[in-house]
Amino acid sequence: MGGFLLRKVGAALVVLVIASMLVFAGVRAIPGDPAIALGAEDRDPALLAQIRHKYMLDRPLPVQYVHWVWLALHGDLGVDQRELPVAHTIVTRIPITLEIAVLSLVVSVIIGIPAGVIAAVRRGKPEDYLATTGALIGLSVPHFWLGLLFIIWFAVDLHWLPASGYVSMSHPIANIEHMIMPAIVLGTGFAAVLMRQMRSSMLSSLGADYVRTARAKGLSERSVIWRHAFRNSLITITTLLGLQLGALISGVVVTETIFGIAGFGRLTIDAVNQRDYTLIQGVVLVTAAGYVIVNLLVDILYSFLNPRIRVS
Amino acid sequence: MNVIRSRIAVIAALALLVVLAVTAAAQAGSRSPQKEGGTLTVGLTLGEPDALDPTLARTFSGREVFLTFCEKLYDLNAKAQIVPQLASALPTVSKDKLTVTIPLRKGIKFNDGTPFDAAAVVQTIQRDLTLTGSARASEISPIASEQAVGQYKVVIHLKTPYSPLTAQFADRAGMIMSPAQLNNLGAKFATNPVCVGPFTYQNRVAGDSITVVKSPYYYNKKNVHLDKIVFKVENDTAAAAAALKAGDLQALDGIDSTQLQGIKADNKLRIIKQTGLGYQGLTLNIGNKNGLLKGYSNVGTPIAANADLREAFEMAIDRKAMNKVVFGGTVLPGCTPISPSSAWYDSTVKCTPYNPTQAKKLVAASGISNPTVHLMVPTGTAALRQAQFMQSEEAAVGIKIVIDSTDFVTSLSKADAGTYDTFQIGWSGRVDPDGNIYQFVATTGSQNDSGYTNARLDLILNNARKASTVEARQTLYRAAQKIILNDRPLIYLYHPVTRAGLSTSLKGITMYPDTLLRVAFATFK
Amino acid sequence: MSAVDTVTLTTPRARRRILLRKRFLRRPMAVAGLVIVVGLVVVALFAPWIAPYSPGATDFNAILASPSSKHWLGTDFLGRDELSRLIWGARASMQAGFFATVVAMVIAVPIGLVAGYYRGWIDTVIARLTDVLLAFPFLILAVGLAAIFGPSLLNATLALGIGAAPALIRVSRGEALAQREEDYVPAAIANGASDATIIFRHILPNMSSTLLVQATLTIPAAIVGEAILSFLGLGVQPPTPSWGTMLQDAQSYLSQAPRLAVIPGLAIVAAALAFNVLGDGLRDIFDPRTTR
Repeated sequence: MGGFLLRKVGAALVVLVIASMLVFAGVRAIPGDPAIALGAEDRDPALLAQIRHKYMLDRPLPVQYVHWVWLALHGDLGVDQRELPVAHTIVTRIPITLEIAVLSLVVSVIIGIPAGVIAAVRRGKPEDYLATTGALIGLSVPHFWLGLLFIIWFAVDLHWLPASGYVSMSHPIANIEHMIMPAIVLGTGFAAVLMRQMRSSMLSSLGADYVRTARAKGLSERSVIWRHAFRNSLITITTLLGLQLGALISGVVVTETIFGIAGFGRLTIDAVNQRDYTLIQGVVLVTAAGYVIVNLLVDILYSFLNPRIRVS
Repeated sequence: MNVIRSRIAVIAALALLVVLAVTAAAQAGSRSPQKEGGTLTVGLTLGEPDALDPTLARTFSGREVFLTFCEKLYDLNAKAQIVPQLASALPTVSKDKLTVTIPLRKGIKFNDGTPFDAAAVVQTIQRDLTLTGSARASEISPIASEQAVGQYKVVIHLKTPYSPLTAQFADRAGMIMSPAQLNNLGAKFATNPVCVGPFTYQNRVAGDSITVVKSPYYYNKKNVHLDKIVFKVENDTAAAAAALKAGDLQALDGIDSTQLQGIKADNKLRIIKQTGLGYQGLTLNIGNKNGLLKGYSNVGTPIAANADLREAFEMAIDRKAMNKVVFGGTVLPGCTPISPSSAWYDSTVKCTPYNPTQAKKLVAASGISNPTVHLMVPTGTAALRQAQFMQSEEAAVGIKIVIDSTDFVTSLSKADAGTYDTFQIGWSGRVDPDGNIYQFVATTGSQNDSGYTNARLDLILNNARKASTVEARQTLYRAAQKIILNDRPLIYLYHPVTRAGLSTSLKGITMYPDTLLRVAFATFK
Repeated sequence: MSAVDTVTLTTPRARRRILLRKRFLRRPMAVAGLVIVVGLVVVALFAPWIAPYSPGATDFNAILASPSSKHWLGTDFLGRDELSRLIWGARASMQAGFFATVVAMVIAVPIGLVAGYYRGWIDTVIARLTDVLLAFPFLILAVGLAAIFGPSLLNATLALGIGAAPALIRVSRGEALAQREEDYVPAAIANGASDATIIFRHILPNMSSTLLVQATLTIPAAIVGEAILSFLGLGVQPPTPSWGTMLQDAQSYLSQAPRLAVIPGLAIVAAALAFNVLGDGLRDIFDPRTTR
């Protein structure tokens, strides 16, 4: 067991190191001098040279990398161009993005799963056509455009909801007001994916042998649908949700841009635009670490459930 | 097997999400409440402020925020004259112009309660001169030494006479930082800056907002009415205007021309406007072949090699139509580096008239068939609209414009490197004409991205720096502008007019020719 | 394979084709999708002859004009005819949609085939890499590529193609795995066919219907992707009209002329919907198990 753990942790660390190196070199491949970005209107060559020196931009890449890793190992991700600690900035932004992600998942589950079940149960009936068509439209509508339409309607014309911004969760009502449009815009797209998956999965479950057996045993139709077919379909759905995490992150980035929400996605884009190397590196390191840790946890958890894995 | 594995992945990921969300909620709970009677929320449209450290700060929007919590030795008034703020009077200058004495206000306190005195001023000046990356060092570089004489007098010795010193002390070089906090935080002063001011820094959410609260120590506390000011970074002009209309913001420091109509129509909002000191225009790459300040070498593009083609290029542009179409009539068309809002504006400098017929003839006479000009445009909707307008105007006279949309930082790098034809860019402007001209067109100018060189112009500009009378300088700048307008290293197009949107429930907000929105002494009706 | 085999194989194939056509024609939605798709392709190809105006022709006396008999959909902020720009915009969308899909197929199918056919460590490595790529938000990748190589339709198309590849690798790998178990593979091996012959002459043709369906479903994603990138300024550059850049221009005039934001968006939805409906229809007829 110990050996297995060591191997997994080792592999995770290798991934992290490679990712950090790629990002380190990658951000420096983007044209645009961070010293000029920092200098704003001041482009006195002496000042730019000082800035480059201060952020070690005048040193060879490997030296910069080792220096950064050394500090990172001591828990110091450095300061960004605003002279604020990168770690603190990241910690304040993550919850905002998580809130959008979680709320839009909630929206998509609330819409997508019942719609999928209904469409499957009432196959070929008007409800089915309605849900299927709705899902197709949901798949075809670009989120960012829907966001623009929502802003035109609900914020500019009707004044029902604020057009942009974020209010912390200590003001729950204002917070929800600001989150409704982003969550719906992002959630409806996923609802369409969920609905389609739910429908096809329910259809195959309803046609499967064990459901036929259950029916033959005289179980009520409701019990067949919910206790058997539905439960089974949920497995497929959870798998799908996992696969959609990457797409969800892309969606959050665009949504945050449209609704002017200072979340993690917006932070990443701003950092790239400002060539804030320290911040970009911190952001990507945290993202990669999160990904690696989740996967590591999964591997470990799975090995407990299925001991054979440890041997192979 | 894969299904189970993925399921666990999902469950683990969701569990992690929940844990983080709960932590987040706990953290959020400890934050300050959002809306109170006396909270003013101001939208910043000109980008996010950089470090809130007067020694390091470089951005325009940073200056707007500093106005509320970092007072300066001197300030500007509505007529752009310099008046004392933390100093008690204008400085006295010795006969040899090498010693400057600044008297200070007595009995006032920093926002941490420590006393403001000459020693603090000396410490700030020393830091501005020596801290790595100081953006102030070059502004006050003629200072040889500074000393506190008694508690309330600072004597500054200069290496050479330097009359702009007072003007520098009316900007960030004059912001005095609390010595206690400097000793406490050192180079990390920006994490919790403490100065003298009507408000004191409370917190900052990077990329989003900066919050300041009323100071209990401010010497003029009775005129401060708001409890709190929140500066929100607004990246999208339409979203910012919508937030102003919705009441999420009570003040917005700049309104995009496309949003003006909607805000004018709103009877809960009013607009104040001020023509700035800057300009917007085009930089033409003429001799920047090897990079900024690496010597003149004609780049050989049609527009660099052929002065007539440059003239045709300018003649094809109808500045008035551009103002109408692109900016809804909200800017001030112009063709010189000096804004009409400046005392140095010279109306005898004549523009190249809009003349597409003549432009067509010049293009034909140039002998270059279908000249193509690349136009580098920083990403942004208004900039892109302007570029498309020019594209269509130039097409009408036979010049093909290829728009190279480039993100802002990259465009600056490319401009310095000389890897561009023409660059759509402007300058925020300075009170003194030298600040709008010298660095862009003098052979050794630090932003001479055009790679332009003209010995006669260099001589004129250097003489204008030394000339002591206003008349002499005016004559010299007139001659300089005529040369620039004839050679066209830059083509000036218009002067921006800043419009701020304010809730009608607010009063006491002003804007001077520096176009900074001054909100510290505002009050809600 | 002997001549006799070929004949006996061909006849059911022809019969199947007729059956498929019949099944397809019984689906009004899919037929409608096909009609719209063909219409869009025609519009894109013949834009110069269909559009009433040149897409770049400005009229500063009629900026932001409302729809009229002269300009059916009105004009934009430079007085350009919105309808003409919409018609020309179909070009950028179709180009991005088709070519991004081609790029994705060219990358993904060989990799997926190799992984699925050989299995073993090659498969493991490829599967892992695909997982990583799938977890990587494709938009961030596209933004990065555009930042490094500069914004253009070509770079946006490449970025979209690369972004779509991982999912296609997964599909073609799965299909190759399944096909490998079919009886014809051992038969071909017994006849002395090389791996390449088996993969490209036998497995690939047998996957074609799945790949066709996947392509039809990748195109709308690429169309929407192009719109997003152009909207962010990372795709098509002006004056070339694209539905995404039209939306970008319109963003400043949401309150004055909301129609400018609504119309190109509807075009994107219509195009994406048509391809999605068509793709669904094709999947249904190729795979009758999921049909209603």
